[in-house]
Amino acid sequence: MAAADVRDMLDLPAEGQQQPRPHKKQKVVEKRPEGITRELYALLGERAPPIAINENRYKGRPKWMSKLRVRPWRMAPFTNGARSDELVLRHWQRQQEPTNAPALEGPEAEKPEEKKQPEEGEGVPKPPEQEYPFVKYNVKARVPKRYSDDEYNRHLKNDDWSRQETDYLMDLAEEYDLRWVVIADRYDFQPQPIDAEANSNALVPAKRYRTMEQMKARYYYIAATMLAFEHPPSEMSETEFELHEKMLKFDPDRERVRKELAALQFNRTADEVREEGILLEELKRITAKEQNFIAERRELYSRLEVPISVGNTAMYQSSQGLSQLLSTLLQADKSKKRRSILGPEGAAAPSPAGQTPTTSGPASARDSRAETPGQAPAPATKKAAAAAAAAAAANKEPQQQPLKTLTPAEEARYGVQHHERLTPSVQFRSDRPQKLTHAKSNVQSQKLAAALAELEVPPRLVMPTERLCKEFEKLIVSVNALLDARKMGEKVESEIRVLEAAREERERKEQEAKEKENPQVKTESDHNDSSLASAAPAGSTDGANDGKDPAVPAPSVEGPEAGAGAGDGTAGDASHKRSASVLSNGSDKSAKRQKK
Amino acid sequence: MNPSIPPSTAEYGGDEVSAIVLDPGFSTTRAGFAGEDAPKSLVPTYYGKYSYEGQEKLIFGDDVFVTPRPGLSIHNPIGRDGIVEDWDMAEKVWEYSFASRLTGAKPGNPLHNGLNDVSNGELPTEMEVEETEKPLADSPLLMSECGWNPTKAREKTIEIAMESWGTPAFYLARNGVLSAFASGKASALVVDIGASNISVTPVHDGMILKRGVQHSPLGGDYISSQIRALFKNNSPQPITITPHYLISSKTGVEAGQPAQAKYKTFPPEKAPDASYRTLLEERTISEFKESVVQVWPGPTKLAAVGPGGVPNEEMAKTTPARPFEFPDGYNQLFGVDRYRVVESLFDAKAAIADPESPFPAPTQAQTVTELIKSALNGVDVDIRPHLLANVVVTGASSLLYGFTDRLNQELMQTFPGPRVRISAPGNTSERKFGSWVGGSILASLGTFHQMWISKKEFDEHGPNIVEKRCK
Repeated sequence: MAAADVRDMLDLPAEGQQQPRPHKKQKVVEKRPEGITRELYALLGERAPPIAINENRYKGRPKWMSKLRVRPWRMAPFTNGARSDELVLRHWQRQQEPTNAPALEGPEAEKPEEKKQPEEGEGVPKPPEQEYPFVKYNVKARVPKRYSDDEYNRHLKNDDWSRQETDYLMDLAEEYDLRWVVIADRYDFQPQPIDAEANSNALVPAKRYRTMEQMKARYYYIAATMLAFEHPPSEMSETEFELHEKMLKFDPDRERVRKELAALQFNRTADEVREEGILLEELKRITAKEQNFIAERRELYSRLEVPISVGNTAMYQSSQGLSQLLSTLLQADKSKKRRSILGPEGAAAPSPAGQTPTTSGPASARDSRAETPGQAPAPATKKAAAAAAAAAAANKEPQQQPLKTLTPAEEARYGVQHHERLTPSVQFRSDRPQKLTHAKSNVQSQKLAAALAELEVPPRLVMPTERLCKEFEKLIVSVNALLDARKMGEKVESEIRVLEAAREERERKEQEAKEKENPQVKTESDHNDSSLASAAPAGSTDGANDGKDPAVPAPSVEGPEAGAGAGDGTAGDASHKRSASVLSNGSDKSAKRQKK
Repeated sequence: MNPSIPPSTAEYGGDEVSAIVLDPGFSTTRAGFAGEDAPKSLVPTYYGKYSYEGQEKLIFGDDVFVTPRPGLSIHNPIGRDGIVEDWDMAEKVWEYSFASRLTGAKPGNPLHNGLNDVSNGELPTEMEVEETEKPLADSPLLMSECGWNPTKAREKTIEIAMESWGTPAFYLARNGVLSAFASGKASALVVDIGASNISVTPVHDGMILKRGVQHSPLGGDYISSQIRALFKNNSPQPITITPHYLISSKTGVEAGQPAQAKYKTFPPEKAPDASYRTLLEERTISEFKESVVQVWPGPTKLAAVGPGGVPNEEMAKTTPARPFEFPDGYNQLFGVDRYRVVESLFDAKAAIADPESPFPAPTQAQTVTELIKSALNGVDVDIRPHLLANVVVTGASSLLYGFTDRLNQELMQTFPGPRVRISAPGNTSERKFGSWVGGSILASLGTFHQMWISKKEFDEHGPNIVEKRCK
């Protein structure tokens, strides 16, 4: 708040209006750091250099505010309508301008002004009709009309309660707005005239102690009676009648007993509290157990009613299928809110029966029976429904199936397909054959790829139609089989070689032993030749002998035995590969290749 | 208009009429304007009296601590039970509390401030009447009182306010109620640990329940006497507290070594009264209370065996001791003793016996827990659980370290069934000035202004109106 504001408020003449001006000018300058021109500063854009220009100075009011006129407040006297005397207190109050000139005031300032006007606006020099805003909170409890002497004597007389004490009670009830706790606390009735009598009797009566229940009973009786005087019960409104009934039915004895019980409850010892806690815990456990029992029994019943489904378990053979089964079971368990118990599908899963799609007679019969409404009240799973539909299609039982069944030709025509199961997410058809080309080991997949390349089948199908995919799958399967066969062949062959080499060695040694007896050079070289030919079947000519029998001996190869052994591995491998591809060439896949 | 529906936010409930709130206590008197969050004027209720050149002089406010004038004696107008004994002096102390800081010196009458002096000094006679202006002529006054204040004292209070101070409107509120208001509760069980008294006040809907009001003298001064007893029985040598004014210089000594200080001596005719020394010793003791004294956290009493089977005293010995240096330089570590001095607030048997103490040995009925128990027994059973769930702890002595934790433990053990919840403001000034803050709230409410006793009503009905209106 500037000095000018104070001056404005106190209606003092403004003397130095220049004071806020230089302050404003400074403000404009300090927005950008000194030494940077405005254009440059604008060029910096949002990424300002990391210099914290932080000045600790009083922020003051926003600029637009300084344009507003300060609203004057003044110390105004007021009277409170809730008081009987005319006590004048003084408080600060906003003074309303005699000529309302909102032109100077911004819209922001105008709004609260308007809002406050109706509730507070007593700014105009003391308008007498303006009421103090807090008077409306001055409310009193509704107490019954006070009885007259005549009424008291006729209807309200009570041996226990004197007229004075009754008056005293009614006064207290009114004074403390029926706060019975306070009334009972402050109740202190001293019967003066009776005291004198008692003194004359020389028998001082013990000071009467009234309980809250006694007071309430007396008060309610009087209030109900007075209410009945005002309106006879037949003319009472509903709420009045209810009140009347409630007051008449007040039972001090019951209230007293209730309070005694409440006191007992309040003053429990720690042991009692602990015992109660234990008992409550026990009760909770018992009820929970009962609930569990009921749930389990219901579960048992539902399981008895569920039909045994023998479906295709082929899908559960792979680990992916099993994990999916587990997830669906968990889902079902969660929705049932009970412990995991393997469902009927789970029970069926480990059974080895039905590896093939359910086209066999008895299985389909059972499935279709399950589908009839009378026998299968349990909700059929998606899989069961699909299996049943397939079985029905195969069985052609239109009288049991309300659905129209299609012949295989029609199915093919309309492109209707039956899936074993549908994976939940979206996937491409081409993904499946793609997956097949990736074997477990890298070497194996490389071999697969090489085989495909040789067949000129692209590893990624160009047009993965349903049929093509199936064919591709078959191709991959047979390639795999072929590869396996080759592997086996290789193994056997190398074993043969090793054995032969061993035999040769033995023979040579025998020969040597013989030659020691009678040396003959000619036979030695013969043996050497034959052994080399068997050990290294393909020599340097491996590029040209496509389609030839690899077992053809190459007599030209000469060299030490060790070198031939080393070359033997790689060369043999290459030749075998070729032979495998040749074999596959000759197989039924040649038709495929032609198609491409 | 339904009173149970709170006013909307647009309707702000405050309406400040620049009322003054005066909260007189045994140790300090708090005064300030209603609507503020702390009293502007905090003066000791103790005042000094000495004679200078045959005239009796009085010292008020913090000045009493400053100068050891010859023959200066310290008095308190309020009795140990919290009821005013010396009304004349109480009036002066209270008047000093607001006149020194709040109402202050008014701009003098332009005829007397020396600027408009007429040469002859002849003054218009009607101006003489205005000269005796009352100190509170334009501020309503809200005063607080303890829950057991007798009717006579209340009437005397309103007479002082209306006749001597000339306040236009007056109200006398119970400090228990005000403390409950300061915590934002209309119903609460207020536990006030003051200097001379501890009191328990059940409050229901903004009114005290008189049959439940309990008080006992185990307040801050009692703890001081326990600390004195502890110093007297200190094991290497008894500790004597020498206040600062008696020490001219000191040198640091090792812990437990006798102090090396030069003392000031006053010749008997210049020495202040013994009560002055006691007052200043009390300041050192309150420093000791603030920095050393700790309440055993419980859950069992200090003398009992703890939950681990280890006696609590042994457990207390394992906690690190705290050092304290006295004004003369003597310093010592205080171990388990710092728990002992306050243990008797909860366990009367644990009191340190001191035959010279002005406080008789406490009885078990005077302990905080027993007070709360008997206070609850005095009120209707239906509201007892509600009160226990709204226990308000206030008063400066409740700032003893660990007090509320121990109280909570004690209450949970005494009342295992109902829920016990203690609300004690963590802010020191809110705890110290709880009843003043409540008065500040009350007197600045727009709805309260219909409850003031106006001068007119006082003139009509006499001082007894305070009994009718301030219920």
